[in-house]
Amino acid sequence: MSGVTAVVYRDYRQRITNIAFVFWDLFVPIAYLLLFGLGFQRTFGEFSMEGLRMGYAEFFLAGVLAMTTYGIAMNTSWGLFMDKDSGIFYELLTYPITRREFLVGKISFSLLLSALGSLLAIVLGAAIMQITVQWMWLPVTLLVVMCTTAGWFFLFSILAIRLTRMDAFNTLTSVAYIILMFLSSMFYPLEQLPAWFRILAWLNPMTWQVDVLRFSLIGVGSAAVVLVEFVAFMVFTLACLSLAVKTIDKAG
Amino acid sequence: MDHVIAVEDVRKVYGAGGSQAVHAVDGVSFEVPKGQILGLLGPNGAGKTTLVKILTTITAPTSGHARICGFDVVRQALDVRRQIAVVLQQTAVETLLTVEDNLRIYAYLHGVSAGEVRKRMDAVLDEFDLREKARETVQDLSLGTKRRVQVAKIFMVDSPVIFLDESTTGMDPLMRRRVLDRIRREARNGRTVLLTTQVLSEAEELCDKIMIIDRGKTLAAGNLQELRRLSTQMFRVSLTFAHDQDVREQLESLHPVELRTEGERVELLFKGEEALLLGRLADLSRVAPIRHFEVRGAGLEDIFVDLVGEKAPRREPEVEP
Repeated sequence: MSGVTAVVYRDYRQRITNIAFVFWDLFVPIAYLLLFGLGFQRTFGEFSMEGLRMGYAEFFLAGVLAMTTYGIAMNTSWGLFMDKDSGIFYELLTYPITRREFLVGKISFSLLLSALGSLLAIVLGAAIMQITVQWMWLPVTLLVVMCTTAGWFFLFSILAIRLTRMDAFNTLTSVAYIILMFLSSMFYPLEQLPAWFRILAWLNPMTWQVDVLRFSLIGVGSAAVVLVEFVAFMVFTLACLSLAVKTIDKAG
Repeated sequence: MDHVIAVEDVRKVYGAGGSQAVHAVDGVSFEVPKGQILGLLGPNGAGKTTLVKILTTITAPTSGHARICGFDVVRQALDVRRQIAVVLQQTAVETLLTVEDNLRIYAYLHGVSAGEVRKRMDAVLDEFDLREKARETVQDLSLGTKRRVQVAKIFMVDSPVIFLDESTTGMDPLMRRRVLDRIRREARNGRTVLLTTQVLSEAEELCDKIMIIDRGKTLAAGNLQELRRLSTQMFRVSLTFAHDQDVREQLESLHPVELRTEGERVELLFKGEEALLLGRLADLSRVAPIRHFEVRGAGLEDIFVDLVGEKAPRREPEVEP
């Protein structure tokens, strides 16, 4: 077994042994879709966005996928923080794998998990909420899901390695989650919102992620704008990756 | 390759360049041949853990060179890691995994095949009394058991060099004995061991060579006999007086380093000219008859205290793995 595969196996065993992880990784976003999505759909009915009629669940599905990626990245980085806190992270640095292989192993498992979680959300959304999904675009959607999971994971792994206090790590990631979620196009279309809100939302990587996912899932949005947003998210991911590699190289 | 571990003038400075620079390791050199056990002793903040971190590639030295099995710890870090198994001072275990998974994943990460892992795991679970807890998640275990899991892991692999940083801390005496026996056996089979410990008796009975460091510098190195010679004119005297009488004042006048009395039995540690002191004890025996008299060389603890004990307060680097 290669070092990377062993790290993937390690993360898999951690998730399987601790069922709470599975709950947060997979079921919370789906519960959001099924409960929150259904509630809003029934309350507000259909609405029009960029000339397309859609129900709230349809609109919200991209947000659920973004939630899945963010949650999985956050949990994996929390695991990294726990590794550091328990000392096993430093022991891992003495194993015959490079620090970069370790990071690749961690991200590989997160990518697989986020693809699985997203697939589950899409299938359940289509089956239960009658969301019309562009199935032909599914591979693109899953690719976007994986790329964006990587961005969030690298961002949080920097915090996990640098921060020494768990309360600081938990507070930072949770506060960031709330700000990023509500200041984005996850829960509502941005067109009706005040200018200051829209400007902040357009600067928010979660808006970029949700818009790209929405485009690939249900075909809403301008292809040119979405392409720019995707490139922007990739730049954000590469910047976080570069910083994460530097941080892990310095660790110890 | 002459030595399995070769360290040459290694230094580690935290906060280098600043006014608060801490010299955690300050020009340490030593060598360990194959199959030997080196004990690294020193008080808290002496630099033992930093040295282990350098040799196990966790951190790079500020200057100097260190080689493990001929591989440079900085330039060939991955090759070094293929040669070592490490037990860190901190209880480093996979708390979210079961005991079995801890052993299995450690072996996988060291490139051991699945078939071999199954065989070795059976033996290790039995040897470390972990069979009953094999399916339990480590976070639910006691500290001593966690420590056992941590130490048991290194016997899942065949790395030629073992680093043990205060590895028996928190273990019960029986398990500690078993671990020490196993380490001795591994050394006899050709594995090289570097251990740090605060339990001096452990170093005394286990190590072929002992190195005492303080404030990042080597104070003394050698086998126990050589260290005894370094700590010159130190010897322990046990006396049993014929009658329980108060001779404390007379004994104190001999200026012992240490004096302990228990009824008619007295234990003294002297530093000085042996013949002169024995002469004065002979004078004392005329006043207070002595029933039993024994002179021994100083133990490791005496030597350690002699070398390290009377120093100014230390400044410890606040760096923890």
